Amino acid sequence: MTSAEFVIGGWVLTGAVFLAYWLRIQQRIRRAERLERDT
Amino acid sequence: MTLLKPAISRALGWATLVAVVVLALFGLWGAPPDSVQGDAQRLMYLHVPAAWIAYLAFGVTAISSALWLWPRTRSEVYDRVAGASAELGVIFTGLTLVLGSLWGRPVWGVWWAWDARLVTTAVLLFLYLGYLALRSVPASPDARAKRCAIAALIAFVDVPIVHFSVTWWRTLHQQATVFNPELKANIHGVMAFTLWFGVLAFTLLYVYLLDRRYRLAVLEDDLDERELERAIAERVAGAGTSVRASPGDDADKVPAEVTP
Repeated sequence: MTSAEFVIGGWVLTGAVFLAYWLRIQQRIRRAERLERDT
Repeated sequence: MTLLKPAISRALGWATLVAVVVLALFGLWGAPPDSVQGDAQRLMYLHVPAAWIAYLAFGVTAISSALWLWPRTRSEVYDRVAGASAELGVIFTGLTLVLGSLWGRPVWGVWWAWDARLVTTAVLLFLYLGYLALRSVPASPDARAKRCAIAALIAFVDVPIVHFSVTWWRTLHQQATVFNPELKANIHGVMAFTLWFGVLAFTLLYVYLLDRRYRLAVLEDDLDERELERAIAERVAGAGTSVRASPGDDADKVPAEVTP
């Protein structure tokens, strides 16, 4: 592997981790808000 | 209930997105390649800010935990902030280790070395994974908050050890580039700008995600409380039905049926 591939891999991984975490939090917030409205 | 007003949280989310895009432009194209490390050095614009924000996150967890333990300032807000910040700190620490490993392979020639900085950082990660596991152990809210606050203060002892490890033990990891004993930054120009911009972008990201995670904690605590109230109401109603179903027939024994 070249240095550029390690660099791109690291940046993509960082973006993917934060995107996945943010999406998961947003999904859980929406679900909790819906449950709160329903009860 | 949130830490920030909804409008501010939304604005912060957009500001974070813009900052991260600008960071990527500078980190991948704007900053020149390092004269020794070449392009691999571009990983430092993520690795270093991630490590610093991990320190910040664990610092916020420690301060919030101390505020919870102090009777005059005790509030469930601090317990939630401590938990949310520790979760983010674990993510930033995990990324610090992985990005460092991705940088180490082309520059050091190895994915991992039993170096003081690397080992103390790995210990930090496992300490806070343990803290998060402790948070999920069932207990009353006060008992859980108390044991977690004590654990957070103990775990934080490792943060200065991680930071000073490169000064105390001269192993493979380089000395601090910015916060070294002389406080003389060994980085300049566009590279220094990109590094500091990375710190800014990750700080915005941390504050935004902390607000979101706190919001989730409030909602989930409310739902748990409602669920408990509903379960108690059902039990009480069930006991009432049993009493009505058997009037005068050993009615004083009925409550024993609802005892868990």
